[in-house]
Amino acid sequence: MSYENPQQPDGINVSKTHPLAEFFPLLTVVVVAVVGLVALLSLAAGSLARLVPFEYEQKIARVVAAELLPPGGTHTDTEGYLQGLAQRLATEMALPPGMQIHVHFEDDDTVNAYATLGGHLVIFGGLLDRLPSENALALVVAHEIAHVKLRHPIVAMGRGATVSLVLGSLFGITDSSAVRSLIEFLGVTSTLSYNREQEREADDEAARAVLGVYGHLAGTEALFELFRNMAARDLARPPEFLSTHPGTEERLARLKALAAELGVSGTVTPLPR
Amino acid sequence: MPIELIVVVVLAVLGYVFGQLAERRHFASIRRREREYAELLTFSERRPPPGRWQTALVGGNVVVSVDYFKRLAAGLRALIGGRVSVYESLLERARREAILRMKEDALTRNAVMIMCVRLETASITKGKGDQISSVEVYAYGTALMR
Repeated sequence: MSYENPQQPDGINVSKTHPLAEFFPLLTVVVVAVVGLVALLSLAAGSLARLVPFEYEQKIARVVAAELLPPGGTHTDTEGYLQGLAQRLATEMALPPGMQIHVHFEDDDTVNAYATLGGHLVIFGGLLDRLPSENALALVVAHEIAHVKLRHPIVAMGRGATVSLVLGSLFGITDSSAVRSLIEFLGVTSTLSYNREQEREADDEAARAVLGVYGHLAGTEALFELFRNMAARDLARPPEFLSTHPGTEERLARLKALAAELGVSGTVTPLPR
Repeated sequence: MPIELIVVVVLAVLGYVFGQLAERRHFASIRRREREYAELLTFSERRPPPGRWQTALVGGNVVVSVDYFKRLAAGLRALIGGRVSVYESLLERARREAILRMKEDALTRNAVMIMCVRLETASITKGKGDQISSVEVYAYGTALMR
């Protein structure tokens, strides 16, 4: 019997494919699949959420409203004024029957305003202090009413729940933290462009409402000038593709285009002190 | 871009660059030593050739860790299925290195061949989600000395 160890051909146990040539197609497939799945399911959830009667939305919102009610009613004057303004705009916007708007004033230096479930709007003191006219404020209030009218809060809730569910299910099939971060990033960014679309819709609806109430759009561009100044000071702002709102310049340009198209001007209403 | 994702990208690039560099060097070293120790024969056969032999148990083990890039690629692969080729090269290196270390052990005893060569493998961090997993490969056999 003779013994020998013949030379084995090298690399027979290893795939010839370059690691990156395998990695990038793999990454592409996963990205497309996750984005597609999230987009499809959240779109479906969004259109279903729109069908939830506003009455039910108000019931869900009771929890939210309880937190928003002013503790001692110290800002009743401001809230009353804001509520009156909202009412005028809401009438102009022809809200469906039963859809009531409740404005809450938050005496806080935050420069912000938002609409939430059940027709509740929150306007922060910081924003109110920095706005030069009622017209600019009306644009903000009308923008938030437009979100309520277009059912954006409930759609956002439905989509948010669905996206969490999808991401949660995808997390279950991998224990790699890197893959999880990737999936999460994809899930969040793939819903942002939809949010920006909602903001554009709300901007257009708001401009029409302000036009209806005041007869012109003079003074409203001050809102975007305020955002622009704030953005210039805030170096840490996210790039547009990662932001929920369209860029300030884009929004200002749309508003100016609309104003130019109408060609009407008028006097700016000051804010009551 | 969220910070977690930046960390993932940076670690993946580092893992790829250093992992590939280490792999290329390791394969070069493996090929060189395999040629060097080619005289020492190894067999999986249990019985030694006829004759009088001194025998000794020889072994060599290796623990290799997965780099971050390989983990990421394997993590993506786990979603779709198929050959995890990034791990194939890693385990190939571990097996050949373990055999080489066993041969080195046998050479110190002036062995002429190693019979009954076996390979064992164990993963060191099993099922721990967020840990870099390592695998051990142990090669052992019976060295024959005249």
